[in-house]
Amino acid sequence: MAGIVVKGRFPRRRLVQTVATNLLRHLFQGAARSWARNAGGTAPALGSMTLLLVMSGLVGLTGFALHNLEQVEASQASLLHVYLRDSAADADIGSLQNRLTSDPRVAGVTYVTKAEALQRAQRIPGLPQLADATESNPFPASLDVQVKNIQDVAAIDASVRDDLAVDQLYPTSYDRGAYQRIQAVLLGAAVAGIAFLGLLGFVAVMVTMNSIKIAIHARRDEITIMQLVGAPRWMVRGPFVVEGAITGALAGVVAGVITFALTAAGISAASGAFSQFAPGVTVTVAGVTAAVVVLVGLGLGSGSSLISLRRHMET
Amino acid sequence: MCPVISNGEVRPTVNGQTRPIVEFRAVTRVYGSRHALDDVHLALEPGELAFLVGPSGAGKTTLLKLINREIRPTSGEVLVAGIAAHHLKASRVAELRRRVGVVFQDYKLLPRLTAIENVAFGLQVGDLRISDEEARDRSLDALEAVGLGDRGDAFPHQLSGGQQQRVAVARAVVAQPPLLIADEPTGNLDLETAWEIMDLFEDIAAWGTAVLVATHNVEIVTRLQRRVLTLVHGRLVRDQPAGQTGRMAWLASS
Repeated sequence: MAGIVVKGRFPRRRLVQTVATNLLRHLFQGAARSWARNAGGTAPALGSMTLLLVMSGLVGLTGFALHNLEQVEASQASLLHVYLRDSAADADIGSLQNRLTSDPRVAGVTYVTKAEALQRAQRIPGLPQLADATESNPFPASLDVQVKNIQDVAAIDASVRDDLAVDQLYPTSYDRGAYQRIQAVLLGAAVAGIAFLGLLGFVAVMVTMNSIKIAIHARRDEITIMQLVGAPRWMVRGPFVVEGAITGALAGVVAGVITFALTAAGISAASGAFSQFAPGVTVTVAGVTAAVVVLVGLGLGSGSSLISLRRHMET
Repeated sequence: MCPVISNGEVRPTVNGQTRPIVEFRAVTRVYGSRHALDDVHLALEPGELAFLVGPSGAGKTTLLKLINREIRPTSGEVLVAGIAAHHLKASRVAELRRRVGVVFQDYKLLPRLTAIENVAFGLQVGDLRISDEEARDRSLDALEAVGLGDRGDAFPHQLSGGQQQRVAVARAVVAQPPLLIADEPTGNLDLETAWEIMDLFEDIAAWGTAVLVATHNVEIVTRLQRRVLTLVHGRLVRDQPAGQTGRMAWLASS
């Protein structure tokens, strides 16, 4: 057997360079050119995707803040303030403190004086006015009992209510069902947020799919020729995926900047109060959220394109 | 010595005989209840120029689509350049199509590309290893071979119908495929230009590429005296060897 060698072999380095150049041109340059040509058709997809991503970013940050709030609430709910009578004897207070400290369900007991209670109240938004309204200190001394398991708080509360050292009018901070009510509200908020994002996501995917469908239609002849001359499937579909990714990335960058700017503005405007109603949300967290929004945009754009290609492009 | 496909591959042989480039074995293709092709057997040898004739709806385009794996047969086997097209996965269709050049009645050139870019486009999207310089050189060679070496920078709208079809032929053969199929390539051309295109097909066949042309043009078929395959209602009713096609008066009346 013999054969005629028609083509010589390229040096490997030059071959890699040639393949990379051709890939860049066919996948990215072609996609960018096509995206610019179809910018009008892409605008609705860009707009709806940007809106979705801004909402996602803000809902994500809100979810993060709510999660932190839930953690704070859980830790506060397992901290039982046992208010002491102003006239309680030191021996009675010591006896109660010893009884609680030796209880296996209790993690720790801290004695808080009236002066410390006042100081603490002055750090809570709204309470300084109440503290200043009277010349005497209205806040009672307390034993702050950290309960190991939140389920045991009710039992601890019942065991201290009738103690001699405990104030009979406002014996403890225990509020039956308060923690469960907060959990129910947070769960409702999470479900509503996810449903809202799902709806927006569906609209954004449908609009992006439609814009890719328009791009496929506009380049029908080119696609046919590519398929007929033996272009591999990924090469025919690749530019459309890149085109969708461009739309998604642009929407992601715009949405990321808006999300970051809104959060940073909120942090600087509300200063200390921001950490009270959105605990854990800092400038760094806002930056990370913006980066995630850009990545989600990329994925959403290219994913929508892939779905559209599967539906509208023949093999 | 074995014959060689021009892209460097050695064509497989059996007992010293070259295998057909195209082979249909009992091929049937059904659309709903209609038989577009019915139990077709045929073989096309390397370097052979053959015409596929028959009335409209006889199954000519279906047969060409089966070769190019645009569709699959309902039953039977289609072998193209050693590849079993009848059960080729969609992900591997590109491999087959790089071995088959295609020419259409409506040329299918990209209007925003020049003639040379149209030819190079066909070359480079099929093989990423081809550099711009190589693509340009080979495209220019192909255009010169079809007599358009001096019109490489012209856009399709600046070319006549015959010239556009020549560019399409150049694009189809620039990768030197072992098979060229053409669906009514002269349908939009006047007779003189049609003859020029047929001369090109003869040259291409002389270089070893099998050429299968679906046409209604009786004058060309009778004058060239090449092999003629006649389809009627999806059945291959005649297979007349080269030089024995006669005046084909029956074809003119069909």
